[in-house]
Amino acid sequence: MAKKNTAQAPLTPAVLHILLALSTGGRHGYGIMKQVEADSQGKVKMGPGTLYGSMGRMMEAGLIRESDKRVDPEMDDERRIYYELTGAGRAALEAELMRYRGVVAVAEGRLAHGH
Amino acid sequence: MATNVAGRRYRTLYGMLLRLYPQPFRDRFGEGMTQTFHDLCREHGDGGRGLFGFALWTFCETLEGIVMENIMRMDQLGKTMLRVALGALAVWMVPLVASQFFEDWHWGVGGFVRVYVLFFLTGMVMALVARRMGVWSYKAGVGLALVAGFALGWSTMVQVADSGHPERLWYHSVLVVGAIGACLARLKAPGLAWTLFAMAATLALIAVMLPSGAPPYLARNMAIGHGVFVALFTVSGLLFRHASLAGLK
Repeated sequence: MAKKNTAQAPLTPAVLHILLALSTGGRHGYGIMKQVEADSQGKVKMGPGTLYGSMGRMMEAGLIRESDKRVDPEMDDERRIYYELTGAGRAALEAELMRYRGVVAVAEGRLAHGH
Repeated sequence: MATNVAGRRYRTLYGMLLRLYPQPFRDRFGEGMTQTFHDLCREHGDGGRGLFGFALWTFCETLEGIVMENIMRMDQLGKTMLRVALGALAVWMVPLVASQFFEDWHWGVGGFVRVYVLFFLTGMVMALVARRMGVWSYKAGVGLALVAGFALGWSTMVQVADSGHPERLWYHSVLVVGAIGACLARLKAPGLAWTLFAMAATLALIAVMLPSGAPPYLARNMAIGHGVFVALFTVSGLLFRHASLAGLK
């Protein structure tokens, strides 16, 4: 399947949060949700429909991949499917952060001139 | 204990809901989604919070995802059908709402269903025919011809039902001319232009030949109505003529 050049395009908030949640290592679905909630200080609450819908598109775009199925030692003895970032996913996240830095720099410059 | 029972029931229902996802999506994420829902139920149960509000929100949120995934995986025809169905629904709301304000408007459930089917079929014909053609004047011609034809057929039915003049069914011969012409022309622009001109001429002929039997003030309104329909069919024919001159043979 042809992969979109998502490293160039702005990301949706859901995709950005998922990439951010996976940036420190592989997580299962519930773990991603909890990390997104923590990263956003509880402001972003993602349900399973949004999470897995976004992950489906991210997998098709080659941003994330299924890593393995294993037990989460902090939860119980059930095996869960883990997901992790790909190289393209990390590049897309870095490109998005660069874009944010650029926006912040412009905004700060404008505000500084305004005062 | 009660939370566990409710949790099991919600998990069963959630599993059933997930079956509405397209098969490839379900194969890929069904297990993970079930597990995640299970984890969320347990989190809520452990926190001593009720499950109903959480389950309702999750079901709605998942349902939204199901709709999105199914739309994304639809082929072009499916998307067209969905758009037409929603458009027909919007138009259908007009008589539905209007019927609430007129006491003598008694269509019944069957009448409303037939009207919706009529709207939907008209929309589908327009969408399918217009989709094949890239010229704007062809699309506009199809739209105008269908709207005018639909309105003529509709008003004839209403008039026959209200006035009890079966001879007014002659107006349907205009639609017959249109159907035969469209078939003979094989939906090509030059032939359709002549078909629409023929429809306009047929309608004008009927308007002149058929005695209206209406009082003068109504006869004037009828004449205006005939004039409008003749103009609509003529304009539609001119649009097809423009399309044929634009190279759409």
